[in-house]
Amino acid sequence: MNIQEYISSGIVESYVLGLASEQERAEFERMCAAHPELRQAREAFEIQLEQQNLSAAVPPPTHLRSRILEELKLEKDKISSLSSADNGFARSTERSSDTPVVKMKNWWRYAAAASIVLLLASTVLNFYFFNQYRSFSAKYDALVKENTSLVEGRRALQASFDEYRKAIETMSDPAMAIIRMAGSQVPGSPDPNSVATVYWDTRNKDVFLHVNSMPSTPSDKQYQLWAIVDGVPVDAGVFDPVKGVAVLRMKNIPRAQAFAVTLEKRGGSSTPTLDQMYVLGKVS
Amino acid sequence: MDKHLGTTITYNEQELVSLLKNRDERAFSYLYDNYSGALYGIILQIVNNADTSNDVLQEVFVNIWRKIESYDPSKGRLYTWMLNIARNASIDMLRSKSFQNSQKNQQFPENVDGILAGATTQINADLLGLKKLLEKLKAEHRILIDLAYFKGYTHEEIAELEGIPLGTVKTRIRNALIQLRNILQ
Repeated sequence: MNIQEYISSGIVESYVLGLASEQERAEFERMCAAHPELRQAREAFEIQLEQQNLSAAVPPPTHLRSRILEELKLEKDKISSLSSADNGFARSTERSSDTPVVKMKNWWRYAAAASIVLLLASTVLNFYFFNQYRSFSAKYDALVKENTSLVEGRRALQASFDEYRKAIETMSDPAMAIIRMAGSQVPGSPDPNSVATVYWDTRNKDVFLHVNSMPSTPSDKQYQLWAIVDGVPVDAGVFDPVKGVAVLRMKNIPRAQAFAVTLEKRGGSSTPTLDQMYVLGKVS
Repeated sequence: MDKHLGTTITYNEQELVSLLKNRDERAFSYLYDNYSGALYGIILQIVNNADTSNDVLQEVFVNIWRKIESYDPSKGRLYTWMLNIARNASIDMLRSKSFQNSQKNQQFPENVDGILAGATTQINADLLGLKKLLEKLKAEHRILIDLAYFKGYTHEEIAELEGIPLGTVKTRIRNALIQLRNILQ
């Protein structure tokens, strides 16, 4: 094969485009050194290819220019260590050596960037969660306080409800003897409109009192309930007409013909003050 | 021609190579301004994806920076050397697992951005560059050049893929290249 045949065999293009085998490439380079016309043919095709590529150029995105030139500046700091022996024309040696280094470096950079982003995000979140925590903590305290007062209120309601239920049970118990005491039954009563009712358990003789309507007492005085047993007044306990208390438990009275209420000194008297008798009712 | 700074510095190839070997930053800017488009065109034709092509172009310039010492002018022009670096980096990317996975993902309808970007790139790459020249070749030649140059298959791999003898592959590729040169002239 003469040199012209070699030139037009397609080897020139094959070599320039990187499609020649290792052996073909070595042979071509040897031939180039010996035949200036082969070299010229190679250069002619290279220039054609370059012109074609330049006319078909696609401008990369503009932001890429500064990114890549910055990257090269970073490379400058560490060039000395990396010096590749291959000439760049060989595809096979191209593949493995350098690209992983680039990837590793980028990997570290991305990892560093990611960790800074994560740190910032975490700081912001910490601040946010701390504020959330404080706000929830305050709300929690307020709720605990509110809950406590609700519980207290409920307890008070329960107590007064229990009171009323007991009263209703007492009043509606068929075994109770009901003795209505009225001011109208007492000639010269200080308040003829006063009314109170004794509920007297016929089974165990317990005595309960309901104040229907009586004047409130001065602080040094108290009402006193008396059972009249064979004409003799027997103390059945003192009371104040306190609002909300429906039924008062008085002393146990085994036997009586009537009940009466007088106003006495606080703590009660041993004998009733008769001109201070407010109400009287007979056991039927 | 450095149009970016409004100056009109030009280098002949020898000057440029010696500045590049000294890692002169202005020489690399010049290289970028004059050749990034041509290399990017080739990368796009091989990779067919704009985002990936950006990464490959960066890798190509880093490789040029690193390997400029080993560039031997007696074996070819600077552009030829850079073009081969660009082609090799593109084909490596084409074959990387991560790239193949990302291409698979693009088939899913929810990745609309990827599909659109891919589609635009596809059109650009097909209309421009060497691939356009390939259309002027016979189909049997075009396929072989596409497989060998743009997909990076060896002659042996092509023989197996196409089910034709290795000798035929070599002859057809040589013939295709001769035709290609005639088209370029």
